Amino acid sequence: MLADPPSNGEYMIAAYLVTTVILVGYWLRLWQKARKV
Amino acid sequence: MNPSDAGLGPARRIVRHGLALSLLGLVGLAGVYVLALGFTPTEARQGLAQKIFYLHVPAAWSALLAFSLVGLASILYLWLQDPRLDRFAAASANAGVAFSAVMLTTGPIWAKPIWGTWWTWDARLTLTLFLFFLFVGYLALRAAVHDPAERARFSAVVGILGMLLVPFIHLSVYLFRTLHPQPIVLKPSAPSLPPEMLRTLLISFAVFTVLYLGFVMTRYGLALAEELQEETRNAG
Repeated sequence: MLADPPSNGEYMIAAYLVTTVILVGYWLRLWQKARKV
Repeated sequence: MNPSDAGLGPARRIVRHGLALSLLGLVGLAGVYVLALGFTPTEARQGLAQKIFYLHVPAAWSALLAFSLVGLASILYLWLQDPRLDRFAAASANAGVAFSAVMLTTGPIWAKPIWGTWWTWDARLTLTLFLFFLFVGYLALRAAVHDPAERARFSAVVGILGMLLVPFIHLSVYLFRTLHPQPIVLKPSAPSLPPEMLRTLLISFAVFTVLYLGFVMTRYGLALAEELQEETRNAG
């Protein structure tokens, strides 16, 4: 019988949050710069 | 009308299209989250942490694609002296640094529960960190040199040197002892993944490529617009 998968969902949530912050933050920075040109 | 003003319209259009494309990429990224978390099976041995794979690997793909294209554009720039190539190289380096930041943060977050450590100084991880620093240096160099021709020439040389690291990074898992797993998609034989996982990964690759294209297009348009505005100021 297979053992239950380890419970490490908090790492997954952290990685998805960090990715969102970096990529959405980068887009917002570009958008901010675009307003000045 | 000043010819520089006439060029601003197309530059702004490139920026608008780039922003729209990258926004589409961000919507696609939300779709990848739903697909990865809700409709892709959880890997039995690694648990939920394995789902970091759907962000980490495509981010690495976009970063290495970006830095490879910086190198190619830099070689072409030194040959053809076309400022569009320099502008593209700078835009690609900028986007590449953003994707590297995703790769270098999601990697340790994934490594901790699986390897038991956030970081190890093996060839793959160390070379990737060096590549990131090299392109941060590339952008710092561009900010420090004001003469456009000199800036383009100096940064082209750094861009080419950075590109030379890319094949070493890809092959480092074969060449050196490492904790990092070997490629499971970008390898000579067929991908070794169950179909549902492969589908999510390929969709994520597509989304990250759209994001890369959108970011580069926006950066390119912004650089063009800033150059034209500078020309207008100098003419005035």
